Amino acid sequence: MYKAILLAADGSDNSFRAAEETLNFITEETEVTILNVINAEDSKDDVLHSGPAGSIMDKRKEKLSKIIDLYETNHIPYQVHFEHGTPNETVVNFANNGLYQAVVLGTRGLNGLQEMVLGSVSHKVAKRAEIPVMIVK
Amino acid sequence: MIEKIKREWLTAPGANIMAGIVVALALIPEAIAFSIIAGVDPMVGLYASFLIAVIISIVGGRPAMISGATGAIALLVVPLVSEHGVEYLLAATILMGIIQIIFGVLKVGKLMKFIPNSVMIGFVNALAIMIFMAQVEHIFGISIDTYVYVIVTLLIVYGIPRFLKKIPAPLIALVVLTGVYIIFGSNVGTVGDLGNIERSLPSFFIPDVPFNMETLQIILPYSLSMAVVGLVESLLTAKIVDNATDTYSSKNRESRGQGIANLVTGFFGGMGGCAMIGQSVINVKSGATTRLSSLTAGVVLMFLIIVLGNWVVQIPMPILAGIMVMVSIGTFDWGSFRYMAKAPRTDAFVMLITVIIVLFTHNLAIGVIVGVLFSAIFFATKISKVDVHFEALEDRNVLRFEGQIFFASIDTMIDQIVFKRYGKAIQLDFSQAHLWDDSAVDAIDTIVRKFEEKGNTVYVSQLNADSRKIVKELSQLNEQYLT
Repeated sequence: MYKAILLAADGSDNSFRAAEETLNFITEETEVTILNVINAEDSKDDVLHSGPAGSIMDKRKEKLSKIIDLYETNHIPYQVHFEHGTPNETVVNFANNGLYQAVVLGTRGLNGLQEMVLGSVSHKVAKRAEIPVMIVK
Repeated sequence: MIEKIKREWLTAPGANIMAGIVVALALIPEAIAFSIIAGVDPMVGLYASFLIAVIISIVGGRPAMISGATGAIALLVVPLVSEHGVEYLLAATILMGIIQIIFGVLKVGKLMKFIPNSVMIGFVNALAIMIFMAQVEHIFGISIDTYVYVIVTLLIVYGIPRFLKKIPAPLIALVVLTGVYIIFGSNVGTVGDLGNIERSLPSFFIPDVPFNMETLQIILPYSLSMAVVGLVESLLTAKIVDNATDTYSSKNRESRGQGIANLVTGFFGGMGGCAMIGQSVINVKSGATTRLSSLTAGVVLMFLIIVLGNWVVQIPMPILAGIMVMVSIGTFDWGSFRYMAKAPRTDAFVMLITVIIVLFTHNLAIGVIVGVLFSAIFFATKISKVDVHFEALEDRNVLRFEGQIFFASIDTMIDQIVFKRYGKAIQLDFSQAHLWDDSAVDAIDTIVRKFEEKGNTVYVSQLNADSRKIVKELSQLNEQYLT
């Protein structure tokens, strides 16, 4: 069994499915690190489409709340990291510089248009990460 | 204080200088293109971007935010420039600065929270559409070469970032395609056809306009619009940078800073400007966190123009048009379509009406004001629902009021009451209601009087503390009615 895995999550349905999938190969001994990358380009969306109240940080945590609930109910130890940067670079950095044994992520994120232009995060992570990568459809 | 200044200027200077250089490179095509939109020499926009970036780095409220000549302001001043000339634009810029300083002192930044998301989304969408429409004349019906340049520019700006992120793709398009043009020549218009580039620093002069009421009448409406639009875009951008960096910034200091920057810029031959969403995002993405990045952006921009001025006039217009198409696509809020489907009907309507008003008036300020008015009316309508429940008890009749009672809601409230002789005493129960203004108190007086005219005994009960207070102050009812 894995001792530590990295879950790259943007709060999309795909990232939730990725989180569900991890339950198949982790135990209560495994620590899951949930990594959410804050991309400067998404800040415009965040500000224009934010709800009425609550701090920015609360909203970010709320995006991941489904995943956090999932690990809470299954008693899986987890920690949440918010990092600023470009999603694929940041995930690859984390994956290659931590003590993780695998990185798990959803196949596509929230932003379809940007993906067409810039290519998908999952593709780049799969190419550059030096640890096993699991891409969940 | 010293600590704060040190932190805002000297944290990670290397990364911030690098980010500033990247932004300077990305600013050049935009400053020139926005000048052309406004109908002035490229220098008017380039001086503006240099001066505003440098001044705002010192007096602005939001470190790492980039300000300069912008499309929003350029689009506003088109009629002013075409009817009266550039000197009036400079005078209007000075007055714009003064108005923004006054707004800053009056803490108008706080009013930003009354601009709902729907209006903000309408604002950026209208801006994007207008920037796009301003390019049509530079793209269509000129020559085959023009189409080729536009298409290649778009391929470069969307293709290159897949492989190379460090250098802004628009700059690559600009350098490569201008090179192609200089070497091979093409049947396209150039920046030089539309104005001159002076390879000198801006200098102080007073705009050449008559100082009289007539001039004021001409520039004041423009200055007001420019001041409002500049602040809306600047404070929206500040919120975006706050979000992107997880830090907070002083919105009032930013308003004042924008005012100072525009005031000075007008005296040095630059057009008005404000913060730029796209450039600020580029800055933050490139690693900027401090004021040094904004200062660097301005200084490097000016340096490049002085060094490279001779080449700048040779830039083919379709390259700039292509870059502006990219800017408009980046400015548009693509989440709007989902928003139209999912947001409450009234919010979607406010967003659309904001866009439509701007496209008809060519004035973002009017769009924002109309949008805010509509959303205020919708909000008032939404909360002006007061329900009155009638209940007949053994010893009395109870009218229970539920909702917010104020000038907009009293008509619907009174309409629900049947005034006749009931026989038993009538209790007006306000435990689920709140009285907000003198109209509400008047309405209560009216209800009591009308019931009494029909021969009923009436008393008012369960007012909450606030409501009881204004009733005591404003009502003609004396204590015997209140329980």
